[in-house]
Amino acid sequence: MASLAGSALSFARPVKAINIKSVSFSGLRKDNVAFRLQPVPQRFAVCCPAKKETVDQVCDIVKKQLALGDNTEVCGSSKFQDLGADSLDTVEIVMGLEEAFGISVEESSAQSIATVEDAANLIDDLVAAADAKSS
Amino acid sequence: MASRPKLSGIQKQALALYRGFLRTARLKAPEERRRIESVVSAEFRGNARDVDRRNFVYIEYLLRRGKRQLEQLRNPDVTGLATLEAKK
Repeated sequence: MASLAGSALSFARPVKAINIKSVSFSGLRKDNVAFRLQPVPQRFAVCCPAKKETVDQVCDIVKKQLALGDNTEVCGSSKFQDLGADSLDTVEIVMGLEEAFGISVEESSAQSIATVEDAANLIDDLVAAADAKSS
Repeated sequence: MASRPKLSGIQKQALALYRGFLRTARLKAPEERRRIESVVSAEFRGNARDVDRRNFVYIEYLLRRGKRQLEQLRNPDVTGLATLEAKK
C-alpha cells in the first residue's frame, strides 16, 4: 500500500498527457488527495505545459496592453491577432511581459509568439532557466 | 487574415527597431519614458498607416533614420526627446 501511494504521488499533479497508469489508481483517489499538498519534484515542472498562474498573468497583461474590456474572453489559446493586435501591439505585449516577469526575450523567439499559450510557455522556460542559473 | 502571415525581412527590421526603442526607453526616467513611448508609438503607427507597403526605398530610409535616432537615444546623456508638429 505504501509503495502504491508513493508512485501515485508522481501523477497526482494535473499533467496534460495523462499517463495510462493513473487510471489504475482511480480507486485510490481519496488517498491521493492528501499527497497533492506535497511539493512536486522539480523534474515534473519541466515537462508540464505552462503553469496556470503564468497563463492567467499573461492574460491580464494582454488585456491591459490592448485595453480590452472585461467582457472580452482571453484564454490560453487566444491569438493576439484575433484579439485585435497588430504586429506592433505584439511587440508591446512581449515587452510588457518581459518587464513583468523580469526576463529578456531573444529577438528570434519574440517574433514567433502568436498566442497567449506561446508566451506563457516561453516565459516558464525562461524563468526556469534563470532560476537554474542563479542557484 | 485568419493565420499569421510570415513576416518579410523588412517588417522584421521595423519590429526589431521598435523593440529597440522600447528597450531604450526603459532606461530613462519614468516620465520621460512615457513620453518617449508615446512619441515612438505614434511615429511607427502613423508610418504603418500612411506609407505604402511597397515603397521600399522610403521604408528603408525610415529604418536608417530610426536606427540613427535610436543610437542617439541610447546615449545615457540624452534624457528625453521632443517632437515638433508641422502644420500641413
